[in-house]
Amino acid sequence: MSDLESLRREMDRTLRPAGERPDGSTMMTRRVFLHKSAIYGASAAACGLFPCISTIEMAFAQGGAAFTFAWLSDTHLYPKELNSRFVEKTVRAVKEIQAMSPPADFLIFGGDLAQLGDPVELRLGAELLSTLAIKKVFIPGEHDWYLDMGATYSKMFGESPWTFDHKGVRFIGLDTVSRARDFWTSRKMSDKERMGHMATLDGTLGGDWAAVGSDGLKYLNSKLSDWPKDKPVVIFTHNPLYEYYPPWNFWVRDWKQVHEIVRPYGNVTNIHGHTHQVLYNEIGKMRSIGMLATSWPWPYAPTGVPKLTRPMVRADPGDHFDGVGWAAHTMTSAARVNYEYKMWRKDIFATARDDSGTGDNRNQVLTPRIADRP
Amino acid sequence: MSSKKLRNPIIAAGVALLFVLAFDAERALGHKEKHTPDQLKAFEEAFMEEVKTGDLLFHGDAATEKRLDVKLSNTGFACAMCHPFTSDTHPHEFPKFQEQINKFATLRDMINWCIEKPNEGEKIDPDGEAMKALETYIYWSNKGSRLDPGRH
Repeated sequence: MSDLESLRREMDRTLRPAGERPDGSTMMTRRVFLHKSAIYGASAAACGLFPCISTIEMAFAQGGAAFTFAWLSDTHLYPKELNSRFVEKTVRAVKEIQAMSPPADFLIFGGDLAQLGDPVELRLGAELLSTLAIKKVFIPGEHDWYLDMGATYSKMFGESPWTFDHKGVRFIGLDTVSRARDFWTSRKMSDKERMGHMATLDGTLGGDWAAVGSDGLKYLNSKLSDWPKDKPVVIFTHNPLYEYYPPWNFWVRDWKQVHEIVRPYGNVTNIHGHTHQVLYNEIGKMRSIGMLATSWPWPYAPTGVPKLTRPMVRADPGDHFDGVGWAAHTMTSAARVNYEYKMWRKDIFATARDDSGTGDNRNQVLTPRIADRP
Repeated sequence: MSSKKLRNPIIAAGVALLFVLAFDAERALGHKEKHTPDQLKAFEEAFMEEVKTGDLLFHGDAATEKRLDVKLSNTGFACAMCHPFTSDTHPHEFPKFQEQINKFATLRDMINWCIEKPNEGEKIDPDGEAMKALETYIYWSNKGSRLDPGRH
């Protein structure tokens, strides 16, 4: 067993009282049962239809009304003269969200609107999203931030963290991207050079930049302290709130502190971007769900893919609408939350090992890059 | 065939072998001399120089592209954006039938396909410096992978 797996198990043992799951009243539905059985190699052909809905149940506030919200993230827009494909896909997602019936109550944009933080890119993003009539809330991604340390982004899309309550659910949006350790000043880097390093997923200079931070942890603690422990909480972050693969910042470096804070709460769901892939994990009583990008899919990391994740199918690199999309989350009055990946090709989950984004890599052993090492 | 007829060619071949060994021993055995630490260091440096050049190309370094006179992308996209740490490039699986190209393909064929299609860049010389560097970086990054040619 790897060190990471041992650590995860130890955390899980510490944080999860015996016999409890992320939500004490949660019952797995048949669809999740299929999801689980696929992990152990059983057939999951029933989920091969578009769209495939993974359904989980969570306790819902008494008398809460059904509602839906949409997640969109990781559009990575360049100026449209340079790259029209990313624009095309963002436009498609926006149109589909606008056409939802019943309409979404709000859109959460989960970060990385821009590719290189350029005001031209951020303005393009704002323009494309402006056609959506519903409420929009934003959290930043590192690609939005490091050209001018969030100045343009914050001015255009507001500050994080934030909290609002909606129909019995507490929603919290955290900034997990702005706390990189300063590698640029001593190297006398230009703003563009700093941004370039931060925009390189497998770069080495950015280091362990993803974090909630001590101020973010305090904020999270304070926003949970007046909330009943059995009522639903949804935390939006750009990075996952657990340790998946630190070299690509598929984590936050203070994930253990986050889990300590949410420990008393029985119904916490973290929805995150950044990883550009189908992901599902549970640690303690918190579940984390990874969302698709509209821009391009990342490969699964060489190690650390949560065992509870049913991997997505290998994307066809010749089809830029494959392996990407957005997501709809529906909270029903029957106390369920359905999350639905709106991937733009018919297959979402792999049904055979050779078509799986993880099973396909069984002979692959990778070495970190070298040209940017200090 | 009589034993006398057989004996003459064998003797002739033996004499020829002795002649080669006597007059070309230094050249024939030269590669068996031990490498000096300086030589090994030079080989390693030459290799790692290619790795670094390939790494820079793979990550969209404009200066390296200019130096080698190649244009690997016209969309802002770099190889590493789909392949961090060269993940999913699978050099250990080539050569194989590659369905996107619809032919039996080498790693170099696939590199050029990625440059032309997803990146919308300009195909590079399959034996040129840029291709050698990209190939070297991809192989180096996958040096722990197990050879599995032909697997899709």
